[in-house]
Amino acid sequence: MKQIDTEIMVIGSGMAGMAAALFSAQRGIETVQVGITGEINFASGLLDLLGVHPVSDGTRWQDPWAAIGQLVSDEPRHPYGRLSVDQVRTAMDQCLAFLETAGLPYQTNGHQNAKIVTPAGTVKTTFGVPRSMFAGVTVLAEKTPTLLVDFEGLRGFSARQIAQTLGPVWPTLKVARIAFPGAGGELLAEHAARALDVQIHRSSLADAIQPLVGSCRAVGLPAVLGIYRTAEILADLESRLGVPVFEVPTMLPAVTGLRLREAFEQQLPRLGVRAFYQQKVMEAEVLSDGSFRFLVGNEDAQICVRAQRTIMASGRFFGKGLRADRIGIRETIFNLPVHQPAERTLWHNKDLLHPDGHPINRAGLSVDSRFRPTDAGGKVIHDNLYAAGSILAHQDWMRQKCGSGLAIATAYGALSQMK
Amino acid sequence: MFLTYCAYLSLAVCVAGILWRARRWFFSAIGPEARLSTPGQRMVVMFTALPGILFSRKIWTIFKALMLDVLLQRQIFRQSVVRWIMHMGICYGVLSLILVHALDDLILADLVTDYAATRNPYLFLRNLLGSAVLVGLAIAVVRRHHVAVLKRFNTVWDRAILVILAIIIFSGIGLEATRMISASLFEEMVADYWGSDDTEEITALKSFWAQQFHVVFATPPPLDASHLDTGRQLHADYCAGCHSSVRAAFVALPLAKAITPMAAIFDRMRIDTWLWYFHYLASCLALAVLPFGKLFHLFSVPLSLAVSSLGPAVGQRPESRPIRRAMGLDACTHCGVCSRHCSVTPIATVISNATILPSEKIAEVGRLARDQLTIQRRWRLSQGSRTCTACGRCSDLCPSGIDLQDLWSASTADLNRSGYPGPHGWIRNQSVEQWADHAREEILAPASTDRPRFTGNPNTFWACVQCTTCTSVCPVVAASDDPRRDLDMTPQQVMNLMRLELKDLALGCRMVWDCVTCYKCQEHCPQGVPVADVLYELRNEACRRLDPAVPKKD
Repeated sequence: MKQIDTEIMVIGSGMAGMAAALFSAQRGIETVQVGITGEINFASGLLDLLGVHPVSDGTRWQDPWAAIGQLVSDEPRHPYGRLSVDQVRTAMDQCLAFLETAGLPYQTNGHQNAKIVTPAGTVKTTFGVPRSMFAGVTVLAEKTPTLLVDFEGLRGFSARQIAQTLGPVWPTLKVARIAFPGAGGELLAEHAARALDVQIHRSSLADAIQPLVGSCRAVGLPAVLGIYRTAEILADLESRLGVPVFEVPTMLPAVTGLRLREAFEQQLPRLGVRAFYQQKVMEAEVLSDGSFRFLVGNEDAQICVRAQRTIMASGRFFGKGLRADRIGIRETIFNLPVHQPAERTLWHNKDLLHPDGHPINRAGLSVDSRFRPTDAGGKVIHDNLYAAGSILAHQDWMRQKCGSGLAIATAYGALSQMK
Repeated sequence: MFLTYCAYLSLAVCVAGILWRARRWFFSAIGPEARLSTPGQRMVVMFTALPGILFSRKIWTIFKALMLDVLLQRQIFRQSVVRWIMHMGICYGVLSLILVHALDDLILADLVTDYAATRNPYLFLRNLLGSAVLVGLAIAVVRRHHVAVLKRFNTVWDRAILVILAIIIFSGIGLEATRMISASLFEEMVADYWGSDDTEEITALKSFWAQQFHVVFATPPPLDASHLDTGRQLHADYCAGCHSSVRAAFVALPLAKAITPMAAIFDRMRIDTWLWYFHYLASCLALAVLPFGKLFHLFSVPLSLAVSSLGPAVGQRPESRPIRRAMGLDACTHCGVCSRHCSVTPIATVISNATILPSEKIAEVGRLARDQLTIQRRWRLSQGSRTCTACGRCSDLCPSGIDLQDLWSASTADLNRSGYPGPHGWIRNQSVEQWADHAREEILAPASTDRPRFTGNPNTFWACVQCTTCTSVCPVVAASDDPRRDLDMTPQQVMNLMRLELKDLALGCRMVWDCVTCYKCQEHCPQGVPVADVLYELRNEACRRLDPAVPKKD
């Protein structure tokens, strides 16, 4: 079996795992990363920092930094409470700078949150917006006369539904449905994106949209404008149509998540990360000197990794970092103690759409100030074991709209406080 | 006289047989293109194209192929030196024997002024060539009976050709040995070529011949020095012109010595005459059956190699392709190389359908082309053809240069058209809903009572969240403009049917049947659902359940 010695082992290839591997490699630390296709494939592409607090009344914040301050004072155990605002800011800046160089540029609304249209027609508060979508933030803010186009057969994306929902606040939003060039029947976002990487499809798409633009001053399209050449495709369409073109997020799994994954998966190995994607930790062991030994593989163990330190970014239930069964919630790799409701009947509120969310959503690993998992008494379990991202307890990233920020900032926090 | 008639009769049969075989090249309708032309049109196309090939630079390509692949057997040499020795021994042994021995009256007698079969080097050559053939035959017999794939499928012709050749060679050696020791023959020769009646001189010559040529006389002549000296002198005067030392007959001489004790009886029976008839008639038989079995490859393989040397571009006209295929059928020597390297040979051992193997399939394809297959055999050929993965190895390795892969695609198309497309074809004849009805109405066999490993276990699907990842990465879905129209359902929708326990509906989905088992879906599934394994198992189950609905009995 292949033997690898490393300083840091990152378990997980979601947003937190990718960020941890990135920051680690940028510091020149030997890094191994292991992870199966997980939640990042289901990323919307929007990088939330903190949008809502408190969740019980759904208050949205224009200024995420002020929101973090308020959140930390209300919920001191929230993972953001283990970090200074400066650390969160640095983490976000570094991550966005990396994505820029990786060919997936993002834009923020200054230091403020941005508002963006979702495929359901609602408006979402977020922080980092892919540059291909940012014109959508501007036209929504200014209620610019805009044409929103959707495609026959693309499920979960209806321009009419969006326009109907937004009609009262954005009456100049026009809609059109066209056939995607060269497709019939169901249209899958990934296939459409790959098709648009080819020039001929782009020009026929532009030809189909051209006569519909009329007096509109911008055109919105589902986020299927290529996987690797989005900027080029966007510029191409804009020059053919003569107005700004922007992408609108689609249902998941979306091309925008795929772009994020590809950017990380292609760039991290170039930064020196020894990455084993589509593989998982099959066995984990803490050695007497405090280091770790992992067997990594897919069906069978193929690699043995020995690591001085480990960052767990293995995600929650969908990411397979946590597992819920009849007895309780378990952590799947080291069987670490999981902060969770005392019994199963308390996992959920009776009301599915309860404004507070459900207690199970805040279950996870409790950590100390250096992001090391602790037991119920607050005692650190392994000196060299760290955790980051959604596996952490005392947060509800979905309702708080803080998923990416949490992943990136806690990964940064874990790394920067290592000794 | 009788023998001469036999020889001419055999020749006539041979020529007629060759014409009959050649007729098949135009009359065998193999492949979909065959319907587009009549045998007459095909003949015209070939004979009008022929001058264009023969009088162009292509003739050099053909010449090169004939030199390297026919004369030197390059392809066989590359594959196995032992097999090359075997084939060269038999091929060159037999052909040279025909030239220097069988046709000596027609060829050598005219070329060489003092030709005599009993002179060297002809005496030596005959023994050498005969033993070369024997070495080849021995290797062939061992090969036919010890190579796993070959020994299972030895045909009558595989054995017959070896037996006929062995009979000819052994009878020839026997003939030479019995003639050598025959006293009667000695006396005939003395009478015919010397004519002396001086008893003393004849005894002296006998002494010399008994010692030097191993003739066995009823009364052994004296072997003292004076007799021998006189004998040597007489031999030099009257016999040496036609008789070289029999030591050159290194095969026949030991045999002659071995049968010396029986010499008197043999001589009385004139066994040498019997053997002469036997040897001659066996050779005539070989000539007569040449066009009707595997010996025909003497003609068909050089032809096939010449045609294939011209590359795929030649003979691509719809009229030419059936001709090329029919020639290919004729060029098969059943050497078995294709089957030894066939990538699905292991399947043939498991499901015991010989038509999976190229060397066996080609004969059935020939019968299919001549419409000689029963329903049962069509069904088996269809199953055998479907098992082929079209890897192309058989075509690459065929020493006869047959484009086997093209033959398979043509014969599979013929089978499909004649109602034997296999489950993949039948499943398309009806809709998903109709198949589900058949399953309920028990036109299909009932589902197995053993719970299949994946589809029989609800845990396989419980984690599926219908996220469409499997569908997005599927190359089969990507190849379709409209998956609903072309595939009925996408992979994730099939998984949903399974979650809903609507397995009967899943069985007929074209997605299930068009899956190429690339396993991308399974590798990308965030929930670890074995999507490809499920599709594969569904297909296997459908094949099993389709069985009674399929006509395959006579």
